[in-house]
This record gives sequence, C-alpha cells and structure tokens, in this order.
Amino acid sequence: MAGSALRRLMAEYKQLTLNPPEGIIAGPKNEENFFEWEALIIGPEGTCFEGGVFPAKLTFPPDYPLSPPKMQFTCDMFHPNIYSDGRVCISILHAPGDDPMGYESSAERWSPVQSVEKILLSVVSMLAEPNDESGANVDAAKMWRENREEFSRIAENLVRKTLGIPQLLG
Amino acid sequence: MRFLGISFVSFLLTALVVANAYYQKKQFYPSVVYITKSNPSMAVIYIQAFIGVWIMGKLMRKIFFGQLRSTEFEHLMERSWYAITETCLAFTVFRDDFTPKFVALFTLLLFLKSFHWLAEDRVDYMERSPVISWLFHIRVLSLLLLLGALDMHFIAHAYQSTVTKGASVQLVFGFEYAVLITVVINIGIKYALHSVDLNSETPWDNKAVFLLYTELVMGLIKVILYVAFVAIMVRIYTLPLFAFRPMYYTIRNFKKAFSDVILSRRAIHNMNTLYPDATPEELAAADNVCIICREEMVTASKKLPCNHIFHTSCLRSWFQRQQTCPTCRLNILRTPAPPTNNNIPGAQVPPQNAAQNQFLNMFAAAGRPNPFHLFNQPPAAGVNAAPRQPPNAAGAQPQAPEQPQPAGTAQPGQGPNNHVPPNFMPPFGFPTFPFPMPFMAPPPMPPANLTTLSEEELRNLEGNERQHIEARIQCLRNIQTLLDASVQMMQQYSVAASIATASTNRPPQSEANLANNSTTSPNSANPRPSTSATETTANSQNDMNGAGVSNSEDEAAKVATSSKSSLMVAEERDSGETGVPSTSNGNSTLSPEEVIRRRRLQRFLQQEQEQH
Repeated sequence: MAGSALRRLMAEYKQLTLNPPEGIIAGPKNEENFFEWEALIIGPEGTCFEGGVFPAKLTFPPDYPLSPPKMQFTCDMFHPNIYSDGRVCISILHAPGDDPMGYESSAERWSPVQSVEKILLSVVSMLAEPNDESGANVDAAKMWRENREEFSRIAENLVRKTLGIPQLLG
Repeated sequence: MRFLGISFVSFLLTALVVANAYYQKKQFYPSVVYITKSNPSMAVIYIQAFIGVWIMGKLMRKIFFGQLRSTEFEHLMERSWYAITETCLAFTVFRDDFTPKFVALFTLLLFLKSFHWLAEDRVDYMERSPVISWLFHIRVLSLLLLLGALDMHFIAHAYQSTVTKGASVQLVFGFEYAVLITVVINIGIKYALHSVDLNSETPWDNKAVFLLYTELVMGLIKVILYVAFVAIMVRIYTLPLFAFRPMYYTIRNFKKAFSDVILSRRAIHNMNTLYPDATPEELAAADNVCIICREEMVTASKKLPCNHIFHTSCLRSWFQRQQTCPTCRLNILRTPAPPTNNNIPGAQVPPQNAAQNQFLNMFAAAGRPNPFHLFNQPPAAGVNAAPRQPPNAAGAQPQAPEQPQPAGTAQPGQGPNNHVPPNFMPPFGFPTFPFPMPFMAPPPMPPANLTTLSEEELRNLEGNERQHIEARIQCLRNIQTLLDASVQMMQQYSVAASIATASTNRPPQSEANLANNSTTSPNSANPRPSTSATETTANSQNDMNGAGVSNSEDEAAKVATSSKSSLMVAEERDSGETGVPSTSNGNSTLSPEEVIRRRRLQRFLQQEQEQH
C-alpha cells in the first residue's frame, strides 16, 4: 500500500473528478507527483471577480491531511486576504497553533475533516466576501473598505488579464 | 549547457598546460615536476580536478537517481552551502595540515554527504509516489550498500590512522563518517519499512510507530556521537565551531522525536483506556468512511466521546498533534468517557420536547383545581397542533418521534402528574435566551437514548452545514411559536381567572399554584407568561416572578403592554358577546370558557397563518 497521504490525495482527486463542484477545477500537475496540484477558480458571480479564471497551485505536506496544504495564486491578485505574491491567507489553511494574524479561533483552523474541495470553496467565498480584518494585503484591505469603486476596477482588470482581454483604462 | 562549456574550457586548459610542459621538458618526469612547480599550471590542474569530481557526481547521480526532482535539487543546494561553509570553518582549525590531500579528503566527504542527503530524500519520496519501479529498488539498495561500504572503509581508515599516528584531521573524518553511517542505517530501516508497507495489501498501521522509534534511536546515537566529538575536539584542539550547527539540529531533531514518541504513547494510551472500539453495528449503521483518510472503516476503529468514529491509526497520528476530535474539535482530554446508559433523561430531552413538557407542566399544574378542568382541554389541542407546524424540526431532530412522552398522549386535565417526568429538570439549553435573539440559544441537546439512533441520524444531528443550521433556526422559531401560543393561553387564562374571581373564590388559589409552578423552574426564560400573570394578578407574586421579568426589561415591558391591551380587548369582547360575564356559580362559567376556547383556537389558527 502506498502512504496514507498519497491514498487520501488520490481519493480526493477521484472525488473531485467524479463530482466537480461548480466553478472549480483541480488536480495534480502530473500523475507521478500527487503532492503538487493545480487549480482553476472561476470568480463567483455577482462579485467584482466575476468571470475571471484564476490559476493557483496547491502544495501538500508529506503528512497531509494532518497538516494543511499551502495555496498560492499563480496569477496577479489584488485581494485583502491574498499576499502580493499570491499566497492565500484563510484560517482553514492554518494549522492550529500558528496564527499569522493573531485573531483566528482554533475552531476555524485546519483539521483533517477539511479537504481540497472545501479549501477551494472557501477561497471562492473569500473572493466574494473579503475579510478586511486580516490584512494579508493591507493596501487591498484599505481600498476595499474605503474605495470600493477603485477596488472593483482593479479586480475587473485582473479578470480581464486572466481572460486575455484588453485592460480598462482610468 | 553552461556546465558543458565550462568543462570543455577546463579540458582545453589542462591539455594546453600538459602540452606546454611536455613541449618544454620533452620527458615525462621533468614535465611533471615543471607543472607542480608552476602555480598557474597547478591552478588549472585543480580546476580540472574539481570539474572531474563534478562530472563524477553527475555520472553517479544519473546511475543512482536518474532525474532529480526539483525539491530534491533545492534541498541539495541548500545543504551544500551549509556544508561548504562549515568545511571552510574546519580548515581554520586544521590550517597546519592544509595540504592538497587534505582538501581532496574534504571534497570527497562533501561528495559522499550529498549522496546521503539525496538517498534520504529519495526514500522519503517512496511513501508519496504512486509508482515505485524495480529500478528504484535496485538503485536505492545498491546506493545504500555502496555508501555504507565507503563509510565503513573511511571509519576504519581514520581509526587506524588515529591509533598509529595519534590524533589528526582523521579524527574529524572518522567522526563525520560515523554520523554518515547512522544516516545510512536510518535510511535503510526506513526503506525496509516502506517496502514492507508497499508490498502489503492492507495499510500497515504500525509503520508510523516504527518510524518514530527509529528516528528516536538514531537521533540518540547521533547526539552521543556529536557530544563525544565536541568533547574530544575541545580537549585536543579547540572548540569545533564547524560542528555546532549540525549538532544543534541533531539535538533539536532528537528532542522532537522524543516528544513525538511521548505524545504518541499518550495518545495510544488514551485511546486504549478511554475510548471504546467501534462495534461492527456502529460501523455498519453509518457511512463508514474515516474522515481522516477517506477510506472505509472495517476494523480497528475507535469511538470518541462525541460519537465520532475514526481509524485507530489515523486518530493516533492526529492525537500526536492535537487532542481534539477532528470533526467537532471536542477536547478529548477534558471530556470524560461517554456515559454507558442514560443517566439524566430529563435533562437530555431535546428542546422542542422540553418546551412541550414545560408547556404541559405549567398547564397541568394550573389544571389541578376543578373549575378549570374544561378550560384545560384546549392546551392539549394547542400542543397537538404544534407538531404539525414544525415538520422541519422533526426532520432535523429525528429522535423527536421516538421520545417517550409525545405531546398527544398527555392529557393535562386527567392526570397532571403522569406526563411530567418525575425527575423533571429545567431543560438546559432551552431557557434564558431573550426572545429577539433566538440564535444565541445553544444547539439542541442530544436525546437521552443515543443507541436508538442510527449513525446517520447522529451525523445529521451534529452537522454544521447550512441545512443543519437552517433546521436549528427553524426549530428555534417553532419554539418561539409555541411560546407565543402559551402567552396567548396565559392571557386567556387570566381573563378566565378574573371572571372566575368574580364568580367564585377558588381561582386565586389556583393562580397561586400557577405562579408557584412557574417559579419552580426558574430557568424558564418565559417572560411573557410570567409577565402576563404579573399584570393580571398584580399582587404578592410580583416579586417571585421578578427574576423572569428582569431578564430583558424592555421586552417584558413591551409584552406587558401588549398583553394588557389584548386583555382589555378580550374583556370587551367577553362582555359584548356573552352579555353576562359573571353571573353566579360554576355552571355559568361554562359558557365564557367555551367562548374563550373558541377565540383562542381562532387566534392560534391566525397565528399559524401568519407564520406561513
């Protein structure tokens, strides 16, 4: 038998392939290495990220699912909960014990009950509703709070960029 | 490509140097002497030697590893830099014996070290790769044998040298290769464990434990080696700065392995003593997928106090990190083992049943005096109507139909005490929430008799997805409806009481009963009934009900006014419709009661319509 982490990742991959959730595509980069995944997230409808297709990579630790994977967008992102290098900052991706922002309760941290699907769905809802209390990107958090129009314009441009459409000006 | 260019240039330079020397001296021996005497020539030869080692390394890597994965390469680079700086530090200690041979020995050491690291990474990768070919096994085995043999050879050499010639640089090499041989042994054990696991049909649960102990023992040996080395070096030479970083990491790893072993042992101990094995029935009852590994649970599963079931081995590895239930985050160390039987049935009645019970209890107590016998029939009807209303709640709380005291069987007027559990306790979880915020109420308590529930029902009970929360909110709304109904009834009751007061002198006593009853369950955050009672009676019971009123004074005041107004309306109607509100004795109270009952039913229906 292969390692338990590998078996679980295979099971999750199978599950995601058989019942893909709406707006999410995810799978290993190659079938040789199940610990590096690629994901495509479609911006949720009715938000400023609507229509965008955002690529991201997921890196799983050897002791998955006991430790959480890491997620990083591989395209440009401007969002209060995404670092400027694309790393995603949501509480379920943090192992109980480490708390980069110092506000999360352990109830919303990583646990083996979580899965790739739940992470990606959380990220989709994070795109729709940024949490400006945890400023992974302080500029974005500030703009989200104070200048929503500008934020929407930047988001719109990001969406256009992922789709290869010319940018809005102004 | 760049490497090809560099090696080509290097070869060219070497050829030039050799050709030049041979051209000048014409003979082999003088030309060798010429090259060794000339510094530029020696530099070229050194570079050539370095390139040669590099090429050798590439060749060995191709043979034993094939293509390196990117993480392996990063690892190698990171470790090489540390190793090179430490080697340079070591040179400072042994600057007296700084010779080409010495440099060559250190280069060889680095060279072999890098292969140890690569082998370690490769074997760790075994557990994570879906396909392990025969080539992989052959490569790893031959590499381990080769590295082991080389390490042994160098240890023996260093030992011989130290014994015959006294302490020298060979001490460092002997010690370095001794550490490397522990690494080889460690990799070998890991490889064996992984291979056994790979070839078995079922997952090998104890592998993690074996790995832990291997790590611990090897860590201990390494720590002893480092400490001995530093002690010897301090005595003979000086403080070996270059050994401090690896020593620090070794000690840290050992400490981690040690605490891992302790945590693991504790987790195993807890599981074996505190938590029962899941029975086959329990496994069969639910969808028996272990949420940690997402595989079916057939055997070797444990049930936690919160009734969640997991593989024993999955739980063990999780408990090493955290002592909580993976599903509900219940802290398992603070929670005693689950009760074997239902010890407090009254307390575990789910809220809506508790609400009904209390409801009945109240009216049952009120119903003791005879004149209210008829008046008490409607409450039963009202309660019977209630279950019709919350179908959602019944869906979310599948245990509801199985409760021993369904509302319908309770006939308040006939035997008030029959349907009230003898050890009736104020149901916790239900009371003390102010009405505008039903969300603040804790989730429903599980029913007393969990064994009657299937695993799936239990899972539904504890779910925290949207539908469950919706169902809970719905359930709380239903409770609110029930309470509103009870307020209505209390109003009617007070009307009747006032009528009765006019006609007979027994009702006040019954009111006292009622008031007493409502205070016997002080938790009942049921401010509406108590306030209406206070309003109507407005006497000595005031202070007794005070606690209930003070819960939320605004709310109470609001309710009080509303109940007052509706009371007035009721009285008006009473006088208008029946004409003679209070004539004389028991017989005549029948008709107003009948009227009240109808009106109450009407209002109740109206309310139900509003609800929909």
